Amino acid sequence: MVAIETDQSTLVSARLPVARGRRRRQLQDRQYALLLMLPAAVVLAVLVGWPLVELVKDSLYSGGLLTGQHFAGLSNYKAALTSGEVQASAGRTGLYALIVLPVELIVGFAMALLFKTLGDRARVLRTVFIYPLLIAPLVAGLLWQYMLAANYGILNQLLASIGILHGDNSILWLGDPTIALLAVAIPDIWLTTSFVTLVLFAGLQALPADVYEAAKIDGAGPWQAFLRITVPLLRPVIAVVLVIRLVDAMSAFAVILIETQGGPQQASTTMGLEIYNTFITYGNTGLAAAISVLFMAAMMIIAFIALKTIWRPGGVTR
Amino acid sequence: MSLRSGRYLKRGALWVLLAAAVVFYGFPYVYLVLTSFKSPGAALEIPPQVWPSHFTFANYSSVLSQPGIVKAFVNSIVIAVLATAIAVALAVPAAYGVVRYRTRAGRVFVTGALVVRMVPAIAIGVPFVGLMARLHLTDTQLGVALAHITIALPLSIWLMSSFFEATPMELEESARIDGCSRLGALARVIVPITSGGIAVTAVFAFLASWNDFLFALLLTAQRSETVPVMIGNFQTEYGNEWASMTALAVLYSLPVVVATLLFQRKIVSGLTLGAVKG
Repeated sequence: MVAIETDQSTLVSARLPVARGRRRRQLQDRQYALLLMLPAAVVLAVLVGWPLVELVKDSLYSGGLLTGQHFAGLSNYKAALTSGEVQASAGRTGLYALIVLPVELIVGFAMALLFKTLGDRARVLRTVFIYPLLIAPLVAGLLWQYMLAANYGILNQLLASIGILHGDNSILWLGDPTIALLAVAIPDIWLTTSFVTLVLFAGLQALPADVYEAAKIDGAGPWQAFLRITVPLLRPVIAVVLVIRLVDAMSAFAVILIETQGGPQQASTTMGLEIYNTFITYGNTGLAAAISVLFMAAMMIIAFIALKTIWRPGGVTR
Repeated sequence: MSLRSGRYLKRGALWVLLAAAVVFYGFPYVYLVLTSFKSPGAALEIPPQVWPSHFTFANYSSVLSQPGIVKAFVNSIVIAVLATAIAVALAVPAAYGVVRYRTRAGRVFVTGALVVRMVPAIAIGVPFVGLMARLHLTDTQLGVALAHITIALPLSIWLMSSFFEATPMELEESARIDGCSRLGALARVIVPITSGGIAVTAVFAFLASWNDFLFALLLTAQRSETVPVMIGNFQTEYGNEWASMTALAVLYSLPVVVATLLFQRKIVSGLTLGAVKG
């Protein structure tokens, strides 16, 4: 209703002398644009802002619903920062990201280049390749738990058939604390390498062809062209992909919960599971909230630094 | 001549490489579907067989006779439809306002949506439990839908902004000259031409809700339990019944398959524009 009224006054103002009319019209455009965004902004502020305010508030209280809450100052933060368990989880979260990201980026980039080289005839294969992206993480977790099973799992069977595993030997992918984190990373790699490929492929499509022509005339090989042209030009795209994947990898949850519940011996408990366990299993809302706040802050800082350094290091112009 | 055959050889090698990668990539899902047609014993066979020795629909009928399965699917659908409808209805005018008028507020708004995208779901999920209890929305479809909007709305804003970027705005101008109001031009001219983009956005908003496990796990009990929560419980109870579990997983991913087939090409572009994973 409000929008329609503003609109009619615009029509009136259009008849005013040009200079004044344009100024008024511009101002009203701005107000109209704001009006269009307002509902979404309010909903986001309420549905995200309110919980985050509550989260910070929760982090300052101790006690659960049964014992009654009382103000605890920063003691939850102190407990979170000094807890060996939280530190170990933070370390595993970082390690998990370090396992997942390089593989996804290298394989994803290679696949994007492959699709680019082979052109439109590879379209059908491209669609098949993006399919994992649409699969729920939960299903991926289940599926890989089945395939990674020590005895009836197909991966061990595959390794045996190509001669890597001998006789009755089998790898306890999800049961061995030393490799569990690696094993829960496999579904994530399977699920999201396609995402990296897709975004980088779109970026490659948008690169100007004449630059490559020029480089070819100057005698640059494909490897040189990749390092000197493709990577620098794709820098913003790479930055976005990396940061999104970094943030998502660090908050991995569904796949790990389904596959190992964070075990064995907490070997695959990353921050998401640590917070979930503190909250659900131990019912310690205050501590869970404090860990969440620290986790979120750390993630924002890392994402910000990553974006700043990768996107435009030292103000390099395109 | 030799140079040319060398090039063909190289091309051929690349195709083989690509085909191998795609097979490697597609295999796990094919294996999931094949396993769902095996007998419960065959699914646990050592060594495992890829191809079922005989096909059976028994797993599907046993899964479909599980108590609560229909309700879980209804819950998942209702929640996803609610979240999608609200997210898209809010995102379309907002993204249009950002792209059409290019104000500073618009840039702040879009950046804000990206920052929200970076907030880990668990940090919203933990306080959401208490908030929903206070609003008497614990274990309700609306409660879960509200949580899903925190994922679906930023995603929809980003997708719709990209679609509007690719839409010629002069059409709106000419509609205005023909006497359309601003809101009328948006509803009668802009929305129809971007309907493809809106559909893709809706598909992704739906999938974001449909695929979510964390929020549903935190916010539902019996009444509003969604399919992923049911799968999780099923796994805890019948950990080794892989034949039934794979059948359930196939049923659950059916909407994804349908959506992919329906919107194949547009989904690829949509995926490229927005960061999808939740």
